[in-house]
Amino acid sequence: MNVIEINHLTKTYGKSRGITDISFNVEEGEIFGFIGPNGAGKSTTIRTLLSLIYPTSGNAKIFGKDCIEFAPDIKKEIGYLPSEVFYYDNMKVFDLLKYSASFYKKDCTKRIKELAEIMDLDLTKKIDDLSLGNKKKLGIVQGLLHEPKLIILDEPTSGLDPLMQQKFFELLETENQKGATVLFSSHILSEVQRLCNRVAIIKEGAIVTVEKISTLQENNYKKFKIHTKTALDKGYFDLPGVSQLEVKDHLVHFLFRGNLNGVLQKIAETDITNVWIEEPDLEEIFMHYYVKED
Amino acid sequence: MNIFLHELKAYRKSTIIWLLSLIAIMVLFMSLFPSFHKDAGEFTKLLEGYPESLRKAIGLDLNNLFTIMGFYTYSLTFIVLVGAIQAMNLGTSIVSKEAREKTADFLLTKPVTRSTVITAKLMAAFVSLVITNIIYGAAAYGMASQVKVEDYSLKMFLLLSLSILWVQLLFLAIGIVMSVMIRKIKSVLTVSLATVFSFYFIGMIGATTGDASLRYLSPFKYFDPSEILKHSGYELSYVITGAVIIGIAISASYYVYAKKDIHAV
Repeated sequence: MNVIEINHLTKTYGKSRGITDISFNVEEGEIFGFIGPNGAGKSTTIRTLLSLIYPTSGNAKIFGKDCIEFAPDIKKEIGYLPSEVFYYDNMKVFDLLKYSASFYKKDCTKRIKELAEIMDLDLTKKIDDLSLGNKKKLGIVQGLLHEPKLIILDEPTSGLDPLMQQKFFELLETENQKGATVLFSSHILSEVQRLCNRVAIIKEGAIVTVEKISTLQENNYKKFKIHTKTALDKGYFDLPGVSQLEVKDHLVHFLFRGNLNGVLQKIAETDITNVWIEEPDLEEIFMHYYVKED
Repeated sequence: MNIFLHELKAYRKSTIIWLLSLIAIMVLFMSLFPSFHKDAGEFTKLLEGYPESLRKAIGLDLNNLFTIMGFYTYSLTFIVLVGAIQAMNLGTSIVSKEAREKTADFLLTKPVTRSTVITAKLMAAFVSLVITNIIYGAAAYGMASQVKVEDYSLKMFLLLSLSILWVQLLFLAIGIVMSVMIRKIKSVLTVSLATVFSFYFIGMIGATTGDASLRYLSPFKYFDPSEILKHSGYELSYVITGAVIIGIAISASYYVYAKKDIHAV
């Protein structure tokens, strides 16, 4: 069953581009990644799903119901964590959580305490006095306290230290095992990679591809940078699977996909002074999708 | 109900401050009444020296200024102004504060419709204003009883005092419709002071020229205390105009807010 169905969703703001003709589905029980650079339209899509903004054309269904028409009904089962969290500054943490819980017709006190414990959040503090990271933790507790069936996260990890990020991911995995579906938007591929089953890649307001993480990993690109003692022949690294090859004096750059042993052997045969093998960043992955489209 | 209570609590502090200011102005004016009354002859002579148009603009009516209701009427021109600023502030901020403090995302991703949100907020603002008027009215009644030199009509006193609430409701409605139309209000006080004073001055000009059509342009003059005193009641045409304006402004606010895109911060 599809928890989210997005059909030809388009949103334009005056003349500027929002999102164009976006379609994808998120299945029940999935952790679905939604990645793209800043300004690609991730937040626009998410805000439309939450009926904060209204689509210009197309529609989206959540739990099989139209996300605008049945918004209040649907939102009972949605937990949302925005990229930047803002709450009523003069309230105490616990009061805000109680206020948040009062919108859902169930007792969430126990769950609030549990989540605050996991996320190490001080319930007695004033919101105004919280650091950015602590506000984010409050956002997480606030988004999960009513045990939603669908968790929507818009760049949730900014401001969290690695330890908290780890705890947060574990929390998401637990919720997921209990049956919650997660839509996770991010511009960092690595965090999506470790958590998600499938990802949609969005660029400039359009979906570039929807793929399984396992497929993406098969497409695993490595970025090579090699510094050699002597200038190399331009064709030396021109192997199958090498792209964007650049040779400048003693420095060689390229992206590689395929069997790593071949390249490493090639490197071993040269007299090198240094070598860097890195994960390509998102931009470079996108480059790959653009090349494929052409 | 939860939004209503939350909002009511949020306005508590400002309501108390506005209420105290209203009472302070009222007490200040009314405490002057005994000496005004004693030296009525000299004051009349002095005030007759002022041009008539000026007297009209600031609502000075020498015929009844030295009766307690006449004097209260005169103080009300200022008290209503302060009350209007309170109401306009409330109206302008109840919706726009969510955008300014960036809490709209929190509230509107909850399982509530936008009209529920507006209703709860309006009700909270309305209740704040009613509470303000009840306590103010009690204080004014107590003060008037202290300084009175002759008996006065309680009905008249109530009609006059309630003009504060009616003007406040008008400005509450104007404030809320402005706040949903303008995309982002950076400073509520700037918007509300500008609006309230513009209408106040239109009202003053109208009073000077005696132009009846100008009177429709200023909500202050719909429940003009000196006219209430003159007619011993409200004027139906203005009551209806006021009610229509409130009705249109509130419905427009619901409509616009329901259709509005809530943009990310």
